[in-house]
Amino acid sequence: MSLRTSISPPAVAQPPIQDAPSRHHMWQRISPYIYIGPAVVYLIIFMIVPVVQGIQLSFTKTPLVKPDGGTGVGLENYSRLLSSPQFYNSLGATILYTAATVIFAVAIGAGSALLLNQAFKGRTIVRAIITFPWAVPTVATALIFSWIFNRSDGVLNEVVGVLGVGQQGWLVDPKFGMAAVVLTSVWKVMPLVMLVVLASLQSIPSELYEATRMDGAGALETFKAVTWPHIAPTVRVVTLLMTIWSIRRFEIIYLLTGGGPVDTTNTLVVNVYRQAFSNQELGRAAAIGALGLVLSLLVTVVYFMMERRNAAKEA
Amino acid sequence: MAKLSLRNVSKRFGDTQVIHDFSAEVDNGEFLVLLGASGSGKSTLLRIIAGLTDASAGDVIFDNLRVNRQSPRERDIAFVFQSYALYPHLTVRENIAFPLALDKFKGWHHIPGVSTIARRVFGSSKDIVKQVASVSSMLELDEYANRKPGGLSGGQRQRVALARALIRNPSMFLLDEPLSNLDAKLRAELRGEIVRLHRLTGKTFVYVTHDQVEAMTMATQIVILHNGIVQQHATPQEIYARPANTYVARFIGSPPMNLMTADVTDGQPALGGLRFPAPEQLRLGNGTVTLGLRPEHLTVSADVDVPGLAGTVRRIEDLGADTLIGVQPDPALGLNMWELNQDDLLWIRQTGQTRLMAGDPCTVSPEARMASYFDSDTGLNLVSAGKDSDAGMLPTRG
Amino acid sequence: MTTQEAPPITQSAPHKRRLKAPGNRSFSKPARYVMLAALVLFSGFPLYWMLNTALSEDSELYGQAQGWWPHWERLADFGDLIGSVPIFKWLTNSVVIAGGTTLLSLIFAVLAGYALSRFKFYGKGAAGFLLFATQMLPEALLVVPIYALFASLGLLNGMGGLILANVAFTMPVSVWIIKGAIDAIPYEIEEAAAVDGCPRVTILSLVLTPLILPSIAAAAVINFFDGWNEFLLAKTFIAERDLWPASVGLASFIGQYLTSLNSVMAAALLFTLPALIFFLLVQRRIVSGLTAGSVKG
Repeated sequence: MSLRTSISPPAVAQPPIQDAPSRHHMWQRISPYIYIGPAVVYLIIFMIVPVVQGIQLSFTKTPLVKPDGGTGVGLENYSRLLSSPQFYNSLGATILYTAATVIFAVAIGAGSALLLNQAFKGRTIVRAIITFPWAVPTVATALIFSWIFNRSDGVLNEVVGVLGVGQQGWLVDPKFGMAAVVLTSVWKVMPLVMLVVLASLQSIPSELYEATRMDGAGALETFKAVTWPHIAPTVRVVTLLMTIWSIRRFEIIYLLTGGGPVDTTNTLVVNVYRQAFSNQELGRAAAIGALGLVLSLLVTVVYFMMERRNAAKEA
Repeated sequence: MAKLSLRNVSKRFGDTQVIHDFSAEVDNGEFLVLLGASGSGKSTLLRIIAGLTDASAGDVIFDNLRVNRQSPRERDIAFVFQSYALYPHLTVRENIAFPLALDKFKGWHHIPGVSTIARRVFGSSKDIVKQVASVSSMLELDEYANRKPGGLSGGQRQRVALARALIRNPSMFLLDEPLSNLDAKLRAELRGEIVRLHRLTGKTFVYVTHDQVEAMTMATQIVILHNGIVQQHATPQEIYARPANTYVARFIGSPPMNLMTADVTDGQPALGGLRFPAPEQLRLGNGTVTLGLRPEHLTVSADVDVPGLAGTVRRIEDLGADTLIGVQPDPALGLNMWELNQDDLLWIRQTGQTRLMAGDPCTVSPEARMASYFDSDTGLNLVSAGKDSDAGMLPTRG
Repeated sequence: MTTQEAPPITQSAPHKRRLKAPGNRSFSKPARYVMLAALVLFSGFPLYWMLNTALSEDSELYGQAQGWWPHWERLADFGDLIGSVPIFKWLTNSVVIAGGTTLLSLIFAVLAGYALSRFKFYGKGAAGFLLFATQMLPEALLVVPIYALFASLGLLNGMGGLILANVAFTMPVSVWIIKGAIDAIPYEIEEAAAVDGCPRVTILSLVLTPLILPSIAAAAVINFFDGWNEFLLAKTFIAERDLWPASVGLASFIGQYLTSLNSVMAAALLFTLPALIFFLLVQRRIVSGLTAGSVKG
């Protein structure tokens, strides 16, 4: 005997079933777009359109004073760039600046993280002092360093003077311009590396250290067996970020040297700015910009390929 | 007030079918328990009723209106979550008042910023304060009114959730494993509370659980789900007495029903030489049948000469009022346990204590007329399920 | 389980316990102290020098060696110290620009972060990619076309236009921070609110926003100081001296020595201090926010 029917016998003739009124269904389909829409539209207007326009601009000769009235010149901007030593110099400066900044920032940042991962008195204060530079606005950074590097009255010359070296034009001598800019940049960005790596270091369970210590491993072996494998992914990510940010860094360089001395720090982004707003050639500036973008993308692609290979190796 | 009908409801997530063609009619005022192991689709089914998940096919009907396209709000249901889902930033009082305050919202009150003020203003209006007070005292929450959920125990939190459901006076209460995060004592206490609320409101309750004790004690009707397929839909008593198939037989009861393969000769089942009187409805030829006996329908004695199944006592579990005895049948009987019971033993429940000890030889005597018979291929109950279409098939026998 | 507040996005806090360092002892003690001292000198000296310069006598700065210790007594007459630098006007502009940037950026970010966290919709992958990829675009490469665009829209030389441009650069990070925060809120709470009668927008304003307030605050600080520090766009778009933010105003003193340097440094100190204080307050969240936002797609 069916039990269910004993509880509720099926109706012989059921009334027709109608949909209950609802406005909910329609809303459900469109509401995601209402929420994501503003941000997407905004980014399209202020990011994607400018990129596209920039690329368009790079095929024109457009003066700064008439930004929407350029004349098409085809690939001329690119061909001129690719055959001009000034462009290769700019590319070289970018690569040199990026490589030096990234290497020093990551090395010093990771090193300080290792130092700060040990207990000692006053650790909090030391960490705060090392973190400070990162919070200092770029313009203030440039202001301080340009004073420190000042040829006639800067404190750096005071110090090297004591060492018996004569006054140097740190920011105006082609020998030192790049070094000064890199030093300033490292000072400013190193703390971020330190904080990120420190966070990663502190997430290593202490049992792991105890285990290797019990095995009688020395400091170096412990580092190789425990510490490095754990922080390596973080270091790789932070290196990528540092690289991308260094390629696009503008303010420190522009404010300290303006691309000089003798174009030694004339990186691509500084070059773009000078072409656009000093030489008033928007078309050429856009062409350099487009090539710089390619460089950034290249770095990202290489990074992700390396990550994939790493992942494959581990699997 | 609503009568709930589900017609051919199915749900797939990608390639996996979670619910297969589910139909049920639930009258107003019933306490329906959806019972099943995890992954059986019971929670998904409840969420489909609530409108928190869309059905892939089929109709959800409240009275005579198809509500598939309505939001949970429009369906006028209350939902109690396993995780309580209280608003952590609001006090107990504000949590309980929340749905009522929202009831008073008109279109423009939903404008961000306005809504924050509107909730506060409405929440402190006289009628709402009064209702919150009466519901809080009903659930003994008065002294916590100004605490935030973070400062409450699990049991108190679930009471707040119940209060928040109750205050709305919805047409239907849907509860998704509301007690499974609580300890045993609180669970028993809140079980009684929920049953009381059901009587008090007279509303339809749909309650999801994996706990058969909850199902048996609270339900007016139970649906047992397995892999998204209904195994049986009946009253608790019926399910216990006449499980629709071997899955239900094993799922309900603790320890579960003992299942063995019996040989049938000329319509007469026999187990280790012991013959069982076949019920009238049963038309058996020759072959086998799966025979089921609940532990309380077996008796065990130290006397080896009485008629029954010879065996050896292996396990004794003294529960105080009852004792469970696990007996290993004599291998010479060639007893073929259909799907092996716990530790390959026949389990017997006996009131009080036993003088038997592990290792003792014994005889197990079945109360033969209480036996259940299942088709040895399909697992369906040959007596109750034979003609009954609503007992599902077993998808696979694991 | 209900959570009291959105847990921070951090995977680990950089300074949970002060002296509990499981640390590997890769360095010997004296070597460690030498290295630490060098680091502190490297990082701390320029800031000290900014303070020292701000508090120095005019006569010290040029021609003769600058003293190693600040003249603290000069603090007493701060107005004099700032001298002829119109820093208060510029700081006010900076506050307007940074505040506007923050407000607009957060509105977009809360909406978009919610959509990315809770909805499945056609084009979600593309929207996520857009938000990820635009973070890669260098400001300096976009400044030319944005300049052209703003010139044609008449948005140059105004703080409004500058805010619009800033938001494009600050919003993506905020979206990821907000999305991460919403991800951490149990979905049942939102479902409960839906059952209780909230449409989406009300769930967001009455339930989610209060719960993710700490993350919104962190995003706000990040946005505010992005707007506060921003130089390139401001320099390019705003020609009028009275409309300059402090960054552009102070930069105008670099390499020119008509205004006495101690005044400039004092002004710079005033410009730096808020950033310093606020960044240290939310340091942990910024670290995780930046890496989470820019690394995870």
